[in-house]
Amino acid sequence: MDEEEHLHRFGTPLPALQKDVVPAKKPVAIEDQIVRDENGKRRFHGAFTGGFSAGFWNTVGSQEGWTPQTFKSSRGERASSKAQLKPEDFMDQEDLGEFGIAPQGIRTRDEFANEDEQQQRSGQRRRKLMQPELGVGAIPGLPVLEQLLRPVRDKVAVRILKSMGWKPGQGVGPRQTRKEKRQATARNSKEQYLLEHYGAEGLPSHKETKGDEDSNTEDEDDEDITFAPDDYEPIFYTPKENRFGMSYSGLNRDPILSKSSSSAKPMQHINLFGEMEAQANKKQLSIRGQAFGVGAFEEEDEDIYARDDMTRYDFSLADKKPKQKKQQHVQQRHVIDGFSEENSAAVLQKPYAIDLPRDFQPRNWLQRRSRFAPMDTERAKKLETASEYKRSGLGRHDLNPDQRAQLLGEQKKEEKTAEEQPKRNPFKDSGKSLLERINARTEGFTKGGVITENGEEQQTELAKEVKEANAAIQEKAALKTKDLPSAMNSSGFKPFLADEAKQLRYEKFVSSKLTDDKEVTEFLARMQPVTLSLWDREMEKKEFIQAAKIYRPLVGLMNDRFVSEANVQAEKVKEQEKPPEERKIVMERTKTMWKPTALLCKRYNIAEPFGGAMLEPEKELKAKAKISVFDYLETSVNTKANFETPSIFPKHIEKLTPKEVEKPPSPPPAPPPEAEIQDKPNTKEESSKPTFVPKTALEQAVDESRNKPISEKVELFKSIFEDSDEEETETSEEDKLAILQESFGLPLTSNTSAAAQNVLRNTSPPRGIFASLFSPKKKDTDKEPATSKFAPIEGNKLKIAYKPPSERLRNDRELAMAEVAPEDIYGPKLPTAPPQKPAAPEIQAETNIDARLQQLWQQHAPKKRKAEKWVEKKCISDSEDSDASSSDATSSSDSTAGKDKRSKLSKPTKSHKSSSSKKSKKSKLKYKKKSKKSEKSKHKAKKKKSKH
Amino acid sequence: MPEFENFNVKTTIDCKQGAVRAVRYNVDGTYCLSCGSDKKIKLWNPASGLLLKTYGGHADEVTDAAGSCDSSYIVSASLDKSIIYWDVSTGAPVRRLRSHAGGVRCVCFNEDSSIAISGGRDNAVMCWDIRTRRLDPVQVMKEARDCITTVATNENRIYAASLDGCVRTYDIRVGELTCDKVGEPITYLAQTLDEQCLVAGCQDSVVRLLDCETGGLLSEYRGHRGDDYHIECGILSNDAHIVTGSSDGDAFVYDLLEGKVLQRIRISDNGGVVHSLATHPKRQEMLFARRRDMYVFSTDLQIEEEQL
Repeated sequence: MDEEEHLHRFGTPLPALQKDVVPAKKPVAIEDQIVRDENGKRRFHGAFTGGFSAGFWNTVGSQEGWTPQTFKSSRGERASSKAQLKPEDFMDQEDLGEFGIAPQGIRTRDEFANEDEQQQRSGQRRRKLMQPELGVGAIPGLPVLEQLLRPVRDKVAVRILKSMGWKPGQGVGPRQTRKEKRQATARNSKEQYLLEHYGAEGLPSHKETKGDEDSNTEDEDDEDITFAPDDYEPIFYTPKENRFGMSYSGLNRDPILSKSSSSAKPMQHINLFGEMEAQANKKQLSIRGQAFGVGAFEEEDEDIYARDDMTRYDFSLADKKPKQKKQQHVQQRHVIDGFSEENSAAVLQKPYAIDLPRDFQPRNWLQRRSRFAPMDTERAKKLETASEYKRSGLGRHDLNPDQRAQLLGEQKKEEKTAEEQPKRNPFKDSGKSLLERINARTEGFTKGGVITENGEEQQTELAKEVKEANAAIQEKAALKTKDLPSAMNSSGFKPFLADEAKQLRYEKFVSSKLTDDKEVTEFLARMQPVTLSLWDREMEKKEFIQAAKIYRPLVGLMNDRFVSEANVQAEKVKEQEKPPEERKIVMERTKTMWKPTALLCKRYNIAEPFGGAMLEPEKELKAKAKISVFDYLETSVNTKANFETPSIFPKHIEKLTPKEVEKPPSPPPAPPPEAEIQDKPNTKEESSKPTFVPKTALEQAVDESRNKPISEKVELFKSIFEDSDEEETETSEEDKLAILQESFGLPLTSNTSAAAQNVLRNTSPPRGIFASLFSPKKKDTDKEPATSKFAPIEGNKLKIAYKPPSERLRNDRELAMAEVAPEDIYGPKLPTAPPQKPAAPEIQAETNIDARLQQLWQQHAPKKRKAEKWVEKKCISDSEDSDASSSDATSSSDSTAGKDKRSKLSKPTKSHKSSSSKKSKKSKLKYKKKSKKSEKSKHKAKKKKSKH
Repeated sequence: MPEFENFNVKTTIDCKQGAVRAVRYNVDGTYCLSCGSDKKIKLWNPASGLLLKTYGGHADEVTDAAGSCDSSYIVSASLDKSIIYWDVSTGAPVRRLRSHAGGVRCVCFNEDSSIAISGGRDNAVMCWDIRTRRLDPVQVMKEARDCITTVATNENRIYAASLDGCVRTYDIRVGELTCDKVGEPITYLAQTLDEQCLVAGCQDSVVRLLDCETGGLLSEYRGHRGDDYHIECGILSNDAHIVTGSSDGDAFVYDLLEGKVLQRIRISDNGGVVHSLATHPKRQEMLFARRRDMYVFSTDLQIEEEQL
């Protein structure tokens, strides 16, 4: 017990351990360890409650407490924005305390003001209100209201400046003279421009403007007037630190999406919503903060969009920031007290020097002829002189717009004088006071370009000057252009420019204008160097000749191709001036055979001409078109192309016509022959139909009777007919005949000499089929010279052609007999030939012969009647082309003009008849034709009668 | 020689069928036809200006028309290269004849209207058998070297005037073709009633009188203006006056013998080419076509007064 008494006890003893009871070693749970504030309130509330105590005694969410508002928004009920709650509403008192997040207390503002706080405050407030964000309002730029309502209070700096004599709108700096100021403004504007266009890097080193020198003299005397410098944004140069090209910035290391790439720091958080935020701000929509992945109750996530970098980590435990050295408070020269000059200004490195190759020679790239060969200096010079006029543009570019205007006669602009005016310095009139001068100047300015008398005088002077200058320039230009063509002529195109010597030779060659081949070779040989091989020489010669051909002087070339418009117009005018000549209408009549179809005749109720026995022209054409083998075999003399008759025929005609003139009452001049006849074979018959010159007594009589004015119809234009028609036809008959014969290749049996015939005759013997066919005819051809016995004695053809009348008459009867039997024709009766009165005595005899012949004819006729066809004369002549004797016959029977011939040739026809049965058919055909002829002539006679 | 009386306008008809391309009398002059550029032909009573019938069926402008001798059929030529044979009373196309290779310019009937003759821009003259149902021409004459401007016929001849300056006469009876070369393009051809002469309107503003028998040039009539128009001419029923249109809106009446201008008929002051005309087969009456209108001119004053 003593022991116990001597013991001192401190503290409360632990409860005694009870036996058999293991003490629970339970530590206090974390949730039970609660921090309380001085009032016993719980201080921290855990993450779930946002760190704040929620509600009274943290009763939010409990039975007694209030339930936090939930955000509800549906389609029907849109969540409307509630009354704006300030962050302060959600803050506890501690937060507003001195150490809270939003301490509320009185502070000194950053503006220092000696005015009382109230004023300051009100001013400040107002200013804030009036200062909306730039560019937010509807009107861009500074708000007008702000400019109008200036805050009463200036910033300190401004006040200091003002006290130093600065005025708003001016720049800061020493006052400048006029010249200086102008220079400064020029420089500033230039720099500004450069800055805008090339960026800070591209700014070239500042150059002194030279243009101001002229104004120096003028402004000398207003040194005493000084001006405040302009207010401009100072330009900050950034020295070039890299080896990139001018204004090249390389790949930007900044993230592409960063808002401001230039100013962004490398490790900046990529703000995806930078722009969006700005827009949202404008729209008064306030969505702020991070959005993705971080909920309101969650602890803020790590910024997943930020890039990590080692620089963000510390590598030592030392202070991050190096300790700042104590600033030396040494008064420096240009530095205001309390400030210091920056020492860290980057020292400009020297511009990078390039090591050039040792043998590098700078050259002008424009003066080279090819990309690969540098041009030798001589040639360059030459080229330069040669192309000088080109570059100078014939002096066109020496003119300025005004001079051009004057050349073109344009109105001179008034502005020019106005321009001139300000150049004249009004301050120059010395003797005036400064103020006066200024006044004068301002007056000048305000009135805006008043033209004084002096000025006008100057203008006229100026005009004169300009004129003189223009005249000089024009002269120059004229000289140049004058030189041009001569230059062109001398040099022209230089095809051998590459080889100068060759070119020289070429030029000489051109100027020599040699054409003869031999001469050219000689000429060139004299010039060509000995080294040139023979082949080369030859080549060169060829080249030169070619080149001379191709590169003819332009003038000649153009002269060939173009006519000056003036010439053309002059010609036109001439043509117009010419009175429109009265075109003499000469009627031409040509007749050809035409076969109307049977149906047409039927419909017209007319008998088919010749009982439908006409050869169809179409068929004939077809036959003609066919190419016969014999055409090639027989390259005869008879083709039109081979025939050259004109030397024979015209003579003949000329000889004939005067003789005929004696007989008919009206002598005709020979009209031009009608060429159209040639195209139709029928024309031979046709042409013979109209009037022909009478030669026999009978025909003479017929003609006379025809000429008698019977005239049942009173013709309206008798007088007109009388002179025109007959002579025309009659003489043309002659020509027609001639042409026909020519075209058929028939020898002119009666009218030409035997020699001529022989020339014209186709002497080639029959070949191929014809050889056998016409072998017996050979005799006939042999006979031909015999027919030429009848050839007229020169100078008296008509006489020779004359035949005994009996013979002739018989022929006529034969012709008449060939008429088609009347019963074979239907339709209205064709007009029959009127009785030929004057032929009365002979008719008797004729009829006798007639009857006999008719008998003879009818013996043969019935057999052949049906099979027989009316065959064109042409056909006959075609078939008999190679047959000389028969061609004689055709020619004899064909034309009226050749009536005399007929008589003469009656012998051969007779001989035909008698010669062989083979020939009988042919002869019959001939008879028929003759009969046709006679019929036609009758027709015609009748027609004539009816006309008169 | 009958004394000339001035022509006065009797009726003016607005045809209402576009430009009138041609006006024609029927065989006895009681009716008239107008061919329009609206592809229609209209039958009129020229005295009253009454529209009797319209014939439509062509595919292009109608250039010419002719009535048959019994006035029961019409044949018309069109630029659609076809010729249509119309029934007058029903107005239905009886036959359409196509063989021309170009537009057809002119058409006419023969005396008994059994054959229609047409001439076209394909330089061909074609004769069509109207009586039968044959659809190809009976005969084709292709001698001309330029457009056929007019075809005319009488008992035994077919005349074709062409722009190549020739009048070709196809004599069926004789079986020969006579080509009279004038040298100036002929725009129209008319026959005198005695069939002795042809009146040819030429492009050089001259109307020429040609003699059929000899092919001689009998007379020339100058005064009107042809320019480049297809001006028609005609001869009045008394065979003493020649009438022609003019490009200045007038029509000229010439004396056939003396070649003087007897009357210059001012058809309109507004200009317009008087290009087509037709002369009455019996009376002193004429039809003129100018622009959209058809004019009936007559020497008969009474009718005019009646109208007034």
